[in-house]
Amino acid sequence: MVKEIERTGIPVVQMCTVTPISMTVGANRIVPTIAIPHPLGDPNKSKKAEKELRRGLVEKAIKALETEVEVQTIFED
Amino acid sequence: MKLELGYINIKDIVFGSESKISHGVLTVNKNAVKDLVLEDELIADVSFDVAKPGESVRITPVKDVIEPRVKVEGKGGVFPGWLSGVETVGSGKTYCLKGMAVVTAGKIVGFQEGIIDMSGIGAKYTPFSTLNNFVVVCSPVKNVKQHDYEKAVRIAGFKVASYLAKLSRELTPDSTEIYETCGIKEGIEKYPNLPRVAYVQMLQSQGLLHDTYVYGVDAKKTLSTIMCPTEVMDGAIVSGNCVSACDKNPTYVHMNNPVIHDLFAEHGKTLNFVCHIITNENVYLADKQRSSDWTAKMCRLLDLDGIILSQEGFGNPDADLIMNCKKIEAEGVKTVIITDEYAGRDGKSQSLADSDPAADAVVTAGNANELIKLPAMDKVIGTLDFVNSIAGGGENSLQEDGSIEIEIQAITGATNEAGFGYLSAR
Repeated sequence: MVKEIERTGIPVVQMCTVTPISMTVGANRIVPTIAIPHPLGDPNKSKKAEKELRRGLVEKAIKALETEVEVQTIFED
Repeated sequence: MKLELGYINIKDIVFGSESKISHGVLTVNKNAVKDLVLEDELIADVSFDVAKPGESVRITPVKDVIEPRVKVEGKGGVFPGWLSGVETVGSGKTYCLKGMAVVTAGKIVGFQEGIIDMSGIGAKYTPFSTLNNFVVVCSPVKNVKQHDYEKAVRIAGFKVASYLAKLSRELTPDSTEIYETCGIKEGIEKYPNLPRVAYVQMLQSQGLLHDTYVYGVDAKKTLSTIMCPTEVMDGAIVSGNCVSACDKNPTYVHMNNPVIHDLFAEHGKTLNFVCHIITNENVYLADKQRSSDWTAKMCRLLDLDGIILSQEGFGNPDADLIMNCKKIEAEGVKTVIITDEYAGRDGKSQSLADSDPAADAVVTAGNANELIKLPAMDKVIGTLDFVNSIAGGGENSLQEDGSIEIEIQAITGATNEAGFGYLSAR
Protein backbone atom coordinates (compact mmCIF):
# COMPACT_ATOMS: atom_id res chain seq x y z
CA MET A 1 0.00 0.00 0.00
CA VAL A 2 2.87 2.34 0.88
CA LYS A 3 4.45 1.84 -2.52
CA GLU A 4 1.20 2.19 -4.46
CA ILE A 5 0.31 5.49 -2.74
CA GLU A 6 3.82 6.85 -3.27
CA ARG A 7 3.60 5.89 -6.93
CA THR A 8 0.83 8.50 -7.31
CA GLY A 9 3.20 11.18 -5.97
CA ILE A 10 1.99 11.36 -2.37
CA PRO A 11 4.75 10.75 0.22
CA VAL A 12 3.99 8.17 2.91
CA VAL A 13 5.36 7.56 6.41
CA GLN A 14 5.01 3.98 7.56
CA MET A 15 4.65 3.69 11.33
CA CYS A 16 5.38 0.15 12.44
CA THR A 17 7.08 -1.99 15.05
CA VAL A 18 8.97 -4.46 12.88
CA THR A 19 11.04 -2.02 10.86
CA PRO A 20 13.13 -4.73 9.11
CA ILE A 21 9.97 -5.83 7.26
CA SER A 22 9.31 -2.19 6.25
CA MET A 23 12.85 -2.09 4.85
CA THR A 24 12.32 -5.35 2.95
CA VAL A 25 9.05 -4.18 1.38
CA GLY A 26 10.61 -0.86 0.38
CA ALA A 27 9.04 1.86 2.54
CA ASN A 28 11.02 5.13 2.29
CA ARG A 29 10.08 6.89 5.55
CA ILE A 30 9.75 4.58 8.55
CA VAL A 31 8.86 5.56 12.13
CA PRO A 32 9.39 2.78 14.69
CA THR A 33 6.47 2.20 17.07
CA ILE A 34 5.97 0.52 20.45
CA ALA A 35 4.93 -3.15 20.05
CA ILE A 36 3.01 -5.32 17.60
CA PRO A 37 -0.18 -5.65 19.70
CA HIS A 38 -0.15 -1.92 20.52
CA PRO A 39 1.90 0.03 17.94
CA LEU A 40 0.75 3.53 18.92
CA GLY A 41 0.25 3.12 22.65
CA ASP A 42 1.63 1.49 25.76
CA PRO A 43 -0.84 0.03 28.28
CA ASN A 44 1.96 -0.12 30.89
CA LYS A 45 2.08 3.68 31.09
CA SER A 46 -0.31 6.05 32.87
CA LYS A 47 -2.97 7.65 30.68
CA LYS A 48 -1.16 10.98 30.80
CA ALA A 49 2.22 9.47 29.87
CA GLU A 50 0.61 7.41 27.13
CA LYS A 51 -1.04 10.49 25.63
CA GLU A 52 2.37 12.21 25.51
CA LEU A 53 3.88 9.13 23.92
CA ARG A 54 1.17 9.03 21.25
CA ARG A 55 1.46 12.73 20.50
CA GLY A 56 5.25 12.36 20.24
CA LEU A 57 4.90 9.52 17.73
CA VAL A 58 2.45 11.44 15.56
CA GLU A 59 4.63 14.55 15.64
CA LYS A 60 7.65 12.45 14.68
CA ALA A 61 5.68 11.01 11.75
CA ILE A 62 4.65 14.46 10.56
CA LYS A 63 8.25 15.63 10.76
CA ALA A 64 9.33 12.58 8.76
CA LEU A 65 6.74 13.44 6.14
CA GLU A 66 8.31 16.87 5.72
CA THR A 67 11.85 15.51 5.51
CA GLU A 68 13.48 14.95 2.11
CA VAL A 69 15.07 11.48 1.91
CA GLU A 70 17.54 10.06 -0.61
CA VAL A 71 17.49 6.47 0.70
CA GLN A 72 15.16 4.37 2.87
CA THR A 73 15.25 6.07 6.28
CA ILE A 74 14.25 4.94 9.76
CA PHE A 75 13.49 7.99 11.93
CA GLU A 76 14.86 6.80 15.27
CA ASP A 77 14.69 10.11 17.16
CA MET B 1 24.28 -36.35 28.98
CA LYS B 2 22.67 -39.74 28.35
CA LEU B 3 18.95 -40.50 28.38
CA GLU B 4 17.34 -43.88 27.87
CA LEU B 5 13.76 -43.85 26.64
CA GLY B 6 11.71 -46.99 27.35
CA TYR B 7 8.74 -47.33 25.02
CA ILE B 8 5.56 -48.97 26.33
CA ASN B 9 3.24 -49.57 23.38
CA ILE B 10 -0.41 -48.76 24.08
CA LYS B 11 -2.73 -50.60 21.69
CA ASP B 12 -6.04 -49.69 23.29
CA ILE B 13 -7.56 -47.48 25.98
CA VAL B 14 -10.66 -48.57 27.97
CA PHE B 15 -12.44 -47.33 31.07
CA GLY B 16 -12.60 -49.58 34.14
CA SER B 17 -12.62 -49.71 37.92
CA GLU B 18 -8.85 -49.85 38.33
CA SER B 19 -6.28 -47.79 36.41
CA LYS B 20 -3.61 -50.09 35.00
CA ILE B 21 -1.63 -51.08 31.92
CA SER B 22 -1.73 -54.74 31.00
CA HIS B 23 -0.66 -56.37 27.70
CA GLY B 24 -0.68 -52.99 25.94
CA VAL B 25 -4.18 -52.07 27.12
CA LEU B 26 -4.51 -48.94 29.24
CA THR B 27 -7.46 -49.09 31.62
CA VAL B 28 -8.47 -45.77 33.18
CA ASN B 29 -10.57 -45.22 36.27
CA LYS B 30 -12.63 -42.19 35.27
CA ASN B 31 -13.22 -41.02 38.83
CA ALA B 32 -9.51 -40.99 39.62
CA VAL B 33 -8.64 -38.70 36.70
CA LYS B 34 -11.75 -36.62 37.30
CA ASP B 35 -10.68 -35.93 40.91
CA LEU B 36 -7.24 -34.98 39.64
CA VAL B 37 -8.55 -32.45 37.10
CA LEU B 38 -11.13 -30.97 39.48
CA GLU B 39 -8.40 -30.19 42.03
CA ASP B 40 -8.20 -26.89 40.14
CA GLU B 41 -11.05 -24.71 41.30
CA LEU B 42 -11.22 -22.90 37.93
CA ILE B 43 -12.39 -26.09 36.21
CA ALA B 44 -16.12 -26.58 36.84
CA ASP B 45 -16.51 -29.91 35.12
CA VAL B 46 -14.59 -32.40 33.02
CA SER B 47 -15.49 -35.35 30.83
CA PHE B 48 -13.28 -38.00 29.24
CA ASP B 49 -13.47 -39.86 25.99
CA VAL B 50 -11.30 -42.07 23.84
CA ALA B 51 -10.77 -41.53 20.10
CA LYS B 52 -9.10 -44.32 18.16
CA PRO B 53 -7.48 -44.30 14.70
CA GLY B 54 -9.97 -44.95 11.89
CA GLU B 55 -13.06 -44.05 13.91
CA SER B 56 -15.58 -41.55 12.58
CA VAL B 57 -14.67 -39.06 15.30
CA ARG B 58 -13.81 -35.36 15.27
CA ILE B 59 -12.10 -33.73 18.28
CA THR B 60 -12.45 -29.93 18.50
CA PRO B 61 -11.51 -27.36 19.75
CA VAL B 62 -8.17 -29.02 20.53
CA LYS B 63 -5.91 -27.13 22.92
CA ASP B 64 -2.85 -29.34 23.51
CA VAL B 65 -1.58 -32.85 22.77
CA ILE B 66 0.71 -34.52 25.32
CA GLU B 67 2.63 -37.81 25.44
CA PRO B 68 2.50 -39.50 28.86
CA ARG B 69 6.04 -39.97 30.24
CA VAL B 70 7.50 -40.78 33.64
CA LYS B 71 11.03 -40.58 34.99
CA VAL B 72 12.06 -43.98 36.37
CA GLU B 73 15.77 -43.35 36.98
CA GLY B 74 17.94 -40.26 37.33
CA LYS B 75 17.55 -36.60 38.20
CA GLY B 76 14.36 -34.58 38.19
CA GLY B 77 10.92 -35.40 36.86
CA VAL B 78 8.86 -34.98 33.69
CA PHE B 79 7.44 -31.46 33.13
CA PRO B 80 9.97 -29.61 35.32
CA GLY B 81 8.63 -26.33 36.65
CA TRP B 82 5.07 -27.66 36.65
CA LEU B 83 4.79 -31.03 38.35
CA SER B 84 8.23 -31.83 39.68
CA GLY B 85 10.58 -29.09 40.83
CA VAL B 86 13.07 -27.50 38.46
CA GLU B 87 16.01 -29.91 38.59
CA THR B 88 17.70 -30.33 35.19
CA VAL B 89 16.18 -33.23 33.26
CA GLY B 90 17.37 -35.15 30.20
CA SER B 91 19.45 -37.89 31.81
CA GLY B 92 18.72 -41.28 33.35
CA LYS B 93 15.74 -43.31 32.23
CA THR B 94 12.24 -42.25 31.17
CA TYR B 95 9.26 -44.42 30.18
CA CYS B 96 6.97 -43.21 27.40
CA LEU B 97 3.46 -44.45 26.55
CA LYS B 98 3.77 -44.77 22.77
CA GLY B 99 0.85 -44.94 20.37
CA MET B 100 -1.30 -42.72 22.55
CA ALA B 101 -1.71 -39.13 23.66
CA VAL B 102 -3.63 -37.03 26.14
CA VAL B 103 -5.59 -34.40 24.20
CA THR B 104 -7.03 -31.40 26.03
CA ALA B 105 -10.12 -29.93 24.42
CA GLY B 106 -12.84 -27.39 25.12
CA LYS B 107 -13.11 -23.66 24.57
CA ILE B 108 -10.20 -21.45 25.71
CA VAL B 109 -10.35 -18.39 23.52
CA GLY B 110 -12.54 -19.81 20.78
CA PHE B 111 -10.60 -18.60 17.76
CA GLN B 112 -7.35 -20.49 17.54
CA GLU B 113 -7.82 -24.01 18.78
CA GLY B 114 -7.74 -26.86 16.29
CA ILE B 115 -9.41 -29.92 14.80
CA ILE B 116 -8.28 -33.57 14.90
CA ASP B 117 -10.21 -35.98 12.64
CA MET B 118 -9.60 -39.67 13.34
CA SER B 119 -10.62 -40.78 9.81
CA GLY B 120 -11.32 -39.37 6.35
CA ILE B 121 -9.19 -36.85 4.48
CA GLY B 122 -8.64 -34.71 7.60
CA ALA B 123 -6.89 -37.62 9.34
CA LYS B 124 -4.23 -37.49 6.62
CA TYR B 125 -3.38 -33.91 7.60
CA THR B 126 -3.03 -34.26 11.36
CA PRO B 127 -0.20 -36.38 12.75
CA PHE B 128 -2.33 -37.14 15.82
CA SER B 129 -4.96 -39.24 13.99
CA THR B 130 -2.75 -42.33 14.24
CA LEU B 131 -2.77 -42.30 18.05
CA ASN B 132 -5.22 -43.63 20.62
CA ASN B 133 -6.27 -40.30 22.07
CA PHE B 134 -7.43 -39.93 25.66
CA VAL B 135 -9.44 -36.73 25.43
CA VAL B 136 -9.95 -34.43 28.41
CA VAL B 137 -12.81 -31.99 27.80
CA CYS B 138 -12.89 -29.25 30.44
CA SER B 139 -15.42 -26.55 31.12
CA PRO B 140 -14.58 -23.50 33.23
CA VAL B 141 -16.29 -21.92 36.21
CA LYS B 142 -18.21 -18.71 35.42
CA ASN B 143 -16.36 -15.41 34.87
CA VAL B 144 -12.93 -17.00 34.64
CA LYS B 145 -10.26 -14.99 32.84
CA GLN B 146 -9.09 -16.68 29.62
CA HIS B 147 -5.40 -16.72 30.57
CA ASP B 148 -6.13 -18.22 34.01
CA TYR B 149 -8.29 -20.88 32.41
CA GLU B 150 -5.66 -21.63 29.75
CA LYS B 151 -3.18 -22.33 32.55
CA ALA B 152 -5.67 -24.52 34.42
CA VAL B 153 -6.36 -26.66 31.33
CA ARG B 154 -2.67 -26.80 30.44
CA ILE B 155 -1.75 -28.14 33.88
CA ALA B 156 -4.74 -30.51 33.91
CA GLY B 157 -3.34 -32.10 30.74
CA PHE B 158 0.09 -32.57 32.32
CA LYS B 159 -1.42 -34.06 35.46
CA VAL B 160 -3.52 -36.58 33.56
CA ALA B 161 -0.56 -37.53 31.32
CA SER B 162 1.67 -37.94 34.34
CA TYR B 163 -0.94 -40.04 36.20
CA LEU B 164 -1.27 -42.40 33.21
CA ALA B 165 2.49 -42.64 32.66
CA LYS B 166 3.11 -43.59 36.27
CA LEU B 167 1.06 -46.77 35.70
CA SER B 168 3.97 -48.02 33.58
CA ARG B 169 6.63 -47.67 36.26
CA GLU B 170 6.96 -51.37 37.05
CA LEU B 171 6.60 -52.59 33.46
CA THR B 172 9.31 -53.75 31.07
CA PRO B 173 9.47 -51.52 27.97
CA ASP B 174 8.66 -53.05 24.57
CA SER B 175 11.73 -51.31 23.18
CA THR B 176 14.36 -48.79 24.24
CA GLU B 177 16.36 -46.00 22.61
CA ILE B 178 19.45 -44.30 23.97
CA TYR B 179 20.23 -40.66 23.23
CA GLU B 180 23.62 -39.31 24.20
CA THR B 181 25.48 -36.07 23.52
CA CYS B 182 29.04 -35.14 24.38
CA GLY B 183 30.66 -32.10 25.93
CA ILE B 184 32.25 -29.55 23.56
CA LYS B 185 35.84 -30.81 23.95
CA GLU B 186 34.83 -34.46 23.91
CA GLY B 187 32.84 -33.93 20.68
CA ILE B 188 35.78 -32.27 18.91
CA GLU B 189 38.14 -35.07 19.94
CA LYS B 190 35.70 -37.85 19.09
CA TYR B 191 34.51 -36.50 15.74
CA PRO B 192 37.34 -34.27 14.44
CA ASN B 193 36.20 -34.53 10.82
CA LEU B 194 32.46 -34.22 11.20
CA PRO B 195 30.62 -30.89 10.75
CA ARG B 196 29.45 -29.33 14.01
CA VAL B 197 25.69 -28.87 13.79
CA ALA B 198 23.10 -27.47 16.21
CA TYR B 199 19.34 -27.08 16.21
CA VAL B 200 18.09 -23.53 16.74
CA GLN B 201 14.44 -23.60 17.77
CA MET B 202 12.28 -20.50 17.83
CA LEU B 203 9.62 -20.70 20.55
CA GLN B 204 6.27 -18.97 20.15
CA SER B 205 6.25 -16.16 22.75
CA GLN B 206 4.07 -13.36 21.37
CA GLY B 207 2.01 -13.26 24.56
CA LEU B 208 -1.78 -12.94 24.83
CA LEU B 209 -2.14 -16.75 24.98
CA HIS B 210 0.65 -17.26 22.42
CA ASP B 211 3.16 -18.62 24.91
CA THR B 212 5.67 -21.40 25.52
CA TYR B 213 7.29 -22.34 28.82
CA VAL B 214 10.82 -23.59 29.55
CA TYR B 215 11.19 -25.26 32.97
CA GLY B 216 8.12 -23.27 33.98
CA VAL B 217 9.57 -19.95 32.79
CA ASP B 218 7.59 -17.89 30.28
CA ALA B 219 9.74 -17.93 27.11
CA LYS B 220 9.09 -14.25 26.37
CA LYS B 221 11.01 -13.41 29.54
CA THR B 222 14.05 -15.49 28.56
CA LEU B 223 17.26 -14.78 26.66
CA SER B 224 18.33 -17.19 23.95
CA THR B 225 20.06 -20.10 25.62
CA ILE B 226 21.60 -23.54 25.19
CA MET B 227 20.02 -26.84 26.16
CA CYS B 228 21.08 -30.44 26.00
CA PRO B 229 18.89 -31.98 23.26
CA THR B 230 17.58 -34.69 25.62
CA GLU B 231 15.99 -32.18 28.02
CA VAL B 232 12.88 -31.70 25.86
CA MET B 233 12.32 -35.47 25.89
CA ASP B 234 11.50 -35.05 29.61
CA GLY B 235 9.04 -32.23 29.00
CA ALA B 236 11.41 -29.29 29.62
CA ILE B 237 9.51 -27.21 27.05
CA VAL B 238 5.71 -27.15 27.08
CA SER B 239 3.08 -25.43 25.00
CA GLY B 240 0.76 -22.75 26.32
CA ASN B 241 -0.30 -21.80 22.82
CA CYS B 242 -3.66 -20.93 21.43
CA VAL B 243 -2.13 -19.90 18.09
CA SER B 244 -3.12 -21.31 14.72
CA ALA B 245 -3.47 -25.05 15.14
CA CYS B 246 -1.53 -26.06 12.03
CA ASP B 247 1.85 -24.63 12.96
CA LYS B 248 2.04 -24.41 16.73
CA ASN B 249 4.09 -27.00 18.55
CA PRO B 250 1.86 -28.93 20.92
CA THR B 251 3.74 -30.32 23.94
CA TYR B 252 3.77 -33.72 22.17
CA VAL B 253 5.91 -32.20 19.38
CA HIS B 254 8.36 -30.69 21.87
CA MET B 255 8.76 -34.12 23.52
CA ASN B 256 9.16 -35.89 20.16
CA ASN B 257 10.81 -33.09 18.18
CA PRO B 258 11.66 -34.64 14.78
CA VAL B 259 14.59 -32.28 14.14
CA ILE B 260 16.24 -33.45 17.37
CA HIS B 261 15.51 -37.12 16.66
CA ASP B 262 16.81 -36.90 13.08
CA LEU B 263 19.97 -35.06 14.19
CA PHE B 264 20.56 -37.78 16.79
CA ALA B 265 20.16 -40.40 14.04
CA GLU B 266 23.04 -38.76 12.13
CA HIS B 267 25.11 -37.94 15.24
CA GLY B 268 28.58 -39.47 14.97
CA LYS B 269 27.91 -40.63 11.39
CA THR B 270 27.54 -37.60 9.12
CA LEU B 271 27.61 -34.82 11.72
CA ASN B 272 28.37 -33.92 15.32
CA PHE B 273 25.08 -32.84 16.98
CA VAL B 274 26.46 -30.21 19.35
CA CYS B 275 23.42 -28.80 21.13
CA HIS B 276 19.90 -27.40 21.08
CA ILE B 277 19.67 -23.59 21.10
CA ILE B 278 16.33 -22.00 22.01
CA THR B 279 15.21 -18.45 21.25
CA ASN B 280 11.90 -16.60 21.37
CA GLU B 281 9.50 -14.63 19.13
CA ASN B 282 8.54 -11.49 21.05
CA VAL B 283 6.46 -8.54 19.91
CA TYR B 284 8.94 -5.74 20.68
CA LEU B 285 11.57 -4.96 18.02
CA ALA B 286 14.34 -4.65 20.63
CA ASP B 287 13.53 -8.18 21.85
CA LYS B 288 13.69 -9.52 18.31
CA GLN B 289 17.04 -7.79 17.77
CA ARG B 290 18.50 -8.95 21.10
CA SER B 291 17.31 -12.55 20.79
CA SER B 292 18.58 -12.99 17.22
CA ASP B 293 21.90 -11.31 18.14
CA TRP B 294 22.26 -13.84 20.94
CA THR B 295 21.54 -16.90 18.78
CA ALA B 296 24.11 -15.72 16.25
CA LYS B 297 26.62 -15.03 19.02
CA MET B 298 26.15 -18.54 20.46
CA CYS B 299 26.49 -20.19 17.05
CA ARG B 300 29.83 -18.38 16.67
CA LEU B 301 31.05 -19.17 20.21
CA LEU B 302 30.25 -22.85 19.68
CA ASP B 303 32.22 -22.83 16.39
CA LEU B 304 29.31 -24.39 14.55
CA ASP B 305 29.48 -25.28 10.86
CA GLY B 306 25.76 -25.39 10.32
CA ILE B 307 22.38 -25.14 12.00
CA ILE B 308 18.78 -26.09 11.38
CA LEU B 309 16.39 -23.29 12.33
CA SER B 310 12.69 -23.94 12.94
CA GLN B 311 9.96 -21.34 13.32
CA GLU B 312 6.71 -21.58 15.28
CA GLY B 313 3.62 -19.76 14.09
CA PHE B 314 3.63 -17.15 11.33
CA GLY B 315 3.30 -13.44 10.60
CA ASN B 316 5.64 -11.25 12.64
CA PRO B 317 7.74 -14.32 13.71
CA ASP B 318 8.76 -14.34 10.02
CA ALA B 319 10.82 -11.26 10.96
CA ASP B 320 12.54 -13.20 13.80
CA LEU B 321 13.14 -16.07 11.39
CA ILE B 322 14.86 -13.88 8.81
CA MET B 323 16.83 -11.94 11.46
CA ASN B 324 18.12 -15.22 12.92
CA CYS B 325 18.97 -16.61 9.50
CA LYS B 326 20.72 -13.44 8.30
CA LYS B 327 22.79 -12.97 11.46
CA ILE B 328 23.77 -16.65 11.82
CA GLU B 329 24.77 -16.87 8.14
CA ALA B 330 26.80 -13.66 8.62
CA GLU B 331 28.83 -15.54 11.28
CA GLY B 332 29.77 -18.07 8.59
CA VAL B 333 27.39 -20.74 9.88
CA LYS B 334 25.33 -22.44 7.17
CA THR B 335 21.63 -22.17 7.94
CA VAL B 336 18.61 -24.16 6.77
CA ILE B 337 15.22 -22.80 7.81
CA ILE B 338 12.00 -24.75 8.30
CA THR B 339 8.85 -22.66 8.00
CA ASP B 340 5.38 -22.84 6.48
CA GLU B 341 3.52 -20.57 4.09
CA TYR B 342 0.46 -18.33 4.09
CA ALA B 343 0.36 -17.92 0.34
CA GLY B 344 -3.40 -17.47 -0.05
CA ARG B 345 -5.94 -20.10 -1.03
CA ASP B 346 -4.59 -20.15 -4.58
CA GLY B 347 -0.95 -20.26 -3.35
CA LYS B 348 -0.05 -17.19 -5.40
CA SER B 349 0.60 -14.65 -2.63
CA GLN B 350 3.89 -13.91 -0.88
CA SER B 351 4.58 -16.85 1.47
CA LEU B 352 6.44 -15.05 4.27
CA ALA B 353 6.20 -11.52 5.67
CA ASP B 354 9.95 -11.03 5.32
CA SER B 355 12.77 -12.43 3.20
CA ASP B 356 16.50 -12.11 2.58
CA PRO B 357 19.04 -13.57 0.13
CA ALA B 358 20.76 -15.27 3.12
CA ALA B 359 17.70 -17.53 3.40
CA ASP B 360 18.84 -19.65 0.47
CA ALA B 361 18.00 -23.04 1.97
CA VAL B 362 14.35 -23.29 2.99
CA VAL B 363 12.15 -26.25 3.81
CA THR B 364 8.41 -25.54 3.72
CA ALA B 365 5.85 -27.47 5.72
CA GLY B 366 3.06 -26.44 3.33
CA ASN B 367 0.56 -23.70 2.56
CA ALA B 368 -1.70 -23.19 5.60
CA ASN B 369 -4.31 -21.32 3.53
CA GLU B 370 -5.10 -24.36 1.39
CA LEU B 371 -8.81 -25.13 1.54
CA ILE B 372 -10.06 -28.58 2.47
CA LYS B 373 -13.49 -30.20 2.78
CA LEU B 374 -13.76 -32.39 5.86
CA PRO B 375 -16.64 -34.88 5.77
CA ALA B 376 -19.14 -35.07 8.65
CA MET B 377 -18.16 -37.44 11.46
CA ASP B 378 -20.53 -39.72 13.41
CA LYS B 379 -19.27 -38.37 16.71
CA VAL B 380 -17.84 -35.07 17.92
CA ILE B 381 -15.74 -34.90 21.11
CA GLY B 382 -15.91 -31.31 22.36
CA THR B 383 -18.12 -28.99 20.33
CA LEU B 384 -18.56 -27.69 16.77
CA ASP B 385 -19.62 -24.28 18.16
CA PHE B 386 -16.31 -22.63 17.26
CA VAL B 387 -15.58 -24.16 13.85
CA ASN B 388 -16.59 -20.97 12.02
CA SER B 389 -14.47 -18.75 14.25
CA ILE B 390 -11.22 -20.70 14.64
CA ALA B 391 -8.30 -19.48 12.54
CA GLY B 392 -8.72 -20.92 9.05
CA GLY B 393 -12.51 -20.96 9.34
CA GLY B 394 -15.11 -18.54 8.00
CA GLU B 395 -18.76 -17.80 8.58
CA ASN B 396 -19.84 -20.58 6.22
CA SER B 397 -17.27 -23.23 7.15
CA LEU B 398 -19.65 -25.51 9.03
CA GLN B 399 -22.22 -27.00 6.63
CA GLU B 400 -25.69 -28.20 7.63
CA ASP B 401 -24.73 -31.86 7.18
CA GLY B 402 -21.83 -31.49 9.65
CA SER B 403 -19.12 -31.33 6.99
CA ILE B 404 -16.62 -28.49 7.19
CA GLU B 405 -14.97 -26.39 4.48
CA ILE B 406 -11.94 -24.86 6.07
CA GLU B 407 -8.27 -23.92 5.57
CA ILE B 408 -5.82 -26.60 6.73
CA GLN B 409 -4.65 -23.90 9.17
CA ALA B 410 -7.40 -25.20 11.50
CA ILE B 411 -6.08 -28.76 11.57
CA THR B 412 -3.80 -29.50 14.52
CA GLY B 413 -0.24 -30.09 13.28
CA ALA B 414 -1.06 -29.88 9.53
CA THR B 415 1.90 -27.63 8.63
CA ASN B 416 4.06 -28.18 11.71
CA GLU B 417 7.34 -26.30 11.33
CA ALA B 418 9.39 -28.82 13.26
CA GLY B 419 8.46 -31.17 10.41
CA PHE B 420 6.06 -33.22 12.49
CA GLY B 421 3.29 -33.10 9.87
CA TYR B 422 2.49 -35.40 6.95
CA LEU B 423 2.49 -32.95 4.03
CA SER B 424 5.03 -33.81 1.36
CA ALA B 425 5.74 -32.95 -2.25
CA ARG B 426 6.44 -36.59 -2.97
